[in-house]
Amino acid sequence: MFLLGFLTRRLAQGAVIVLLVTFLIFTLLRVIPGDPVRLMVGGMAPDTLVEQIAEEMGLRDPIPVQFARYMSGVVQGDLGQSFVRPASGAAVGGAAFDDATRGERAQVLTLIAETAPYTIQLALLAMALALLVAVPIGVFAGLSPGRWPDRVALYLGSVFVSVPNFWLGIVLALVFSVQLGWLPAIGYENFAYTILPAIVLAVEIAPFIIRTLSVSVAQVMRESYIGAAAVRGLGQTRIIMAHALKNASVPLLNLLGVQFSLLLGGVLVVEFIFDYPGLGLLTINAVLQRDFPLIQGIAIVTSVAFVMINIFVDLLATMIDPRLEY
Amino acid sequence: MTETPLLDVRGLTVEAGRAEAAPRILDDVSFSLQAKRILGVIGPGGSGKTTLAHALVNWLRPPLEVTSGEIRFRGEDILAMPSDRSARLRGKTIAYVGGDPQGAMNPTMHVGEQIVEKLRAVEPGVSYKEARERAVALLGAVRIPSPEQRFGEYPFQYSGGMMQRAMIVDALIANPELLIADSITQPLDVTVGAQILKLMRELSERFDTAILFISASLPTVADVADEILVLEGGRVAEFAAVDDVISRPRHAATRKLIDELPKLWHRDGMTTAAATDKAQTVLSVQNVSRVYPIKSKSGLGKPKLLQAVRDVSFDIHAGENFGVVGESGCGKSTLMRLLTALEKPDTGHIVFDGEDIFGRGRAGTRRFRREVQLVLQDPFGSLPPQSSIGEIISEPLVIHNEGDRRQRRTRALDMMGEVGLDRSLYESLPTRLTAGQRQRVNVARAMILEPRLMIMDETLSALDQTEQSRLIDLFERLQAQHGFTYLFISHDIALVRRVCARIAVMYLGEVVELAANERLFFNPGHPYSKALLSAAPTLEDRRYRPEDCLLEGEPPSPIDLPPGCAFASRCPSAFDRCRKINPQPVYRGDHDRAACHLLQPEPVAS
Repeated sequence: MFLLGFLTRRLAQGAVIVLLVTFLIFTLLRVIPGDPVRLMVGGMAPDTLVEQIAEEMGLRDPIPVQFARYMSGVVQGDLGQSFVRPASGAAVGGAAFDDATRGERAQVLTLIAETAPYTIQLALLAMALALLVAVPIGVFAGLSPGRWPDRVALYLGSVFVSVPNFWLGIVLALVFSVQLGWLPAIGYENFAYTILPAIVLAVEIAPFIIRTLSVSVAQVMRESYIGAAAVRGLGQTRIIMAHALKNASVPLLNLLGVQFSLLLGGVLVVEFIFDYPGLGLLTINAVLQRDFPLIQGIAIVTSVAFVMINIFVDLLATMIDPRLEY
Repeated sequence: MTETPLLDVRGLTVEAGRAEAAPRILDDVSFSLQAKRILGVIGPGGSGKTTLAHALVNWLRPPLEVTSGEIRFRGEDILAMPSDRSARLRGKTIAYVGGDPQGAMNPTMHVGEQIVEKLRAVEPGVSYKEARERAVALLGAVRIPSPEQRFGEYPFQYSGGMMQRAMIVDALIANPELLIADSITQPLDVTVGAQILKLMRELSERFDTAILFISASLPTVADVADEILVLEGGRVAEFAAVDDVISRPRHAATRKLIDELPKLWHRDGMTTAAATDKAQTVLSVQNVSRVYPIKSKSGLGKPKLLQAVRDVSFDIHAGENFGVVGESGCGKSTLMRLLTALEKPDTGHIVFDGEDIFGRGRAGTRRFRREVQLVLQDPFGSLPPQSSIGEIISEPLVIHNEGDRRQRRTRALDMMGEVGLDRSLYESLPTRLTAGQRQRVNVARAMILEPRLMIMDETLSALDQTEQSRLIDLFERLQAQHGFTYLFISHDIALVRRVCARIAVMYLGEVVELAANERLFFNPGHPYSKALLSAAPTLEDRRYRPEDCLLEGEPPSPIDLPPGCAFASRCPSAFDRCRKINPQPVYRGDHDRAACHLLQPEPVAS
């Protein structure tokens, strides 16, 4: 009963959020300068043709009308077609306006569905690597506040957080791909291509996990029930594993939710550097080409992911700590 | 005595660090406790009671450490044992219950599971099923209703009294030989605390457990213990049988503890400020109610209603001391928020000085806010730590735009003199002040605007007996000088007995009785008033025996109030009508009234 009410309420809220985000992006894209039709048809096309195509595509209608038309497609699972990308997968740009092979344009949903798995794979690996390093350090630091593990964690965190990701990406690529030849760096052919970008992202996320965890563990360890547990006769291992870590995990969970959403939303710089074919790269290209439907599609998908992840995290948090109410 | 005592403490000294000048928290403390006996430990705040308890269960935290002495348990020194052996005593043979039941268990695990976890940690052979059965049986034995269901609930779903029972179960489930009970009734309401005490005595007999019972309240200790150890400044002042300590105190510290106890049933020496007959009404509360909607957890369905204050009416006259008493959850705090216009009542009116406090416009509200001032309970949370004491006291003048900088300083300094704060403290931060000094700062801050009504919401509850007496004297002096009217909101029946001329007793949001001091204490009209009086800790002969009046169980939730009298579920004399019809107030004399079906109206004295 609680679960049902929770999901209904949160999904309804989420739908409103997604709708607002979409409308905002939709409007912004249309009021900024730059005509996508000109980009689509190429620089050589006559102005009358540009106008004609724009009319046909409904781009000259009032924005609310366009939005309504767009949303009616979205609810049926149709995110529209890319302005620029041909369905055949041919290269973008530089072609004449009457090239017949480019007549049919790619479905936005297909484009996203093709790239998203790469990003999800990258995000999961980055998250796993970050947790692998950060959780032991964070817990250890939290258990001995002010002593050396705490300080090591602090210094390590400061170093990690201040390394610029583009620099780290390039250095790692130079060392591991160019010099040692252990790992591939550019593009994607198999799982090995995910490792270097994932390391860069993990270094970026790890300091936040370390910090959050060490603070929350230290805080829980000061709670009276932890001290009382020892007096009640529980062993130290049991106190830490069953009581302290469980209670310290809620702030971490919230952080992970936000971080994971950010990763899914496209890690622009890192994907660009490694030419990794994920959502980030797709977004960059879509923006450069003023590919409105694609940008919108990505925005909707990522905001849906954001909402779903948050609902999931909050649900998990209430299961850990039943006092929470979301 | 020839047999070895169960616990034999010799020359125990605890210091804060090893430095030469390290403060001694416990100084050469020696006593012994025989098996199956109850030893009460008493002393004023800061006398080292809790440090003693912690030392016995090996829970001292740095910088505190035992620097000399022995703690012999069955003849063997715990302090000299290898740590794994002393760890095995913990929880199994020596159990501990503290004064913070709500904080003593992991908030995210079921209470029952934690009791089972503890039992299986100290008795590894016990199966989960057996442990669960033992836990449920004991939860039932300490009279927790429907223990099967309560087993699977979280600590936050328990009330304070219920949680304390669960902690007692947790301590006793492994059949310990010694139980250290540190201030276990302190956070509880008197009626609930009295139940817990009764329970302790029964359990100690049933399980043959020796108990070291620590408390700041002499009557409470005298009630349960066989012998009493009086601590003062970390030293043993006196160690003797209860009757000897009470009737023939040998040490000055003991005599002081006894003398400071407020007297409930002495008729003389009461100096409660009463209003003269023609005194004008300062504050009039007329049929005030406040209801809070509580959203169900899923957010669906109709919100439930929490009836915090129900149809409350009373008048406060100029120059009198008016008291509101009741236990936690009775609506005192909500009432305070309504009276200070922090919240609006849903129905009814609050009239101050002939004008409704919510219909006065901006200027009128501002005037109201200076004429009614509030002093709260928590001496630590109520002062901004970053402001100097002078700034804190003169801030109301700044807010109300009075005087220039110099005049404000002069007035603040005068005020500090009046409340007994050293003027040299003007520039210092409140960090180092004691609780009593902090409350003086709060009083000075409230008084500097020369209000007409001062609302004291549990102002004295956090202070020890000595400091309470001093502040009461201060309040009386200030009242004589400035002619304030005081409203005391408190759970402490002894306090209102001492200072209030008229007292309203609240139960579950209602004023069940409103009476003059004398009548309430010597001829209470409502059974709940009687129960409160019977549970008040005192060394005097009780007028109302707890056996006759004391309540079983705890107040029902204000969310699903039963029809009829709210008190019926705990009332020893409830009958059919009580469960159907909520009694109307019955007048006894001119002003006094109580809401009980058993009362007959008394004719107005002509």
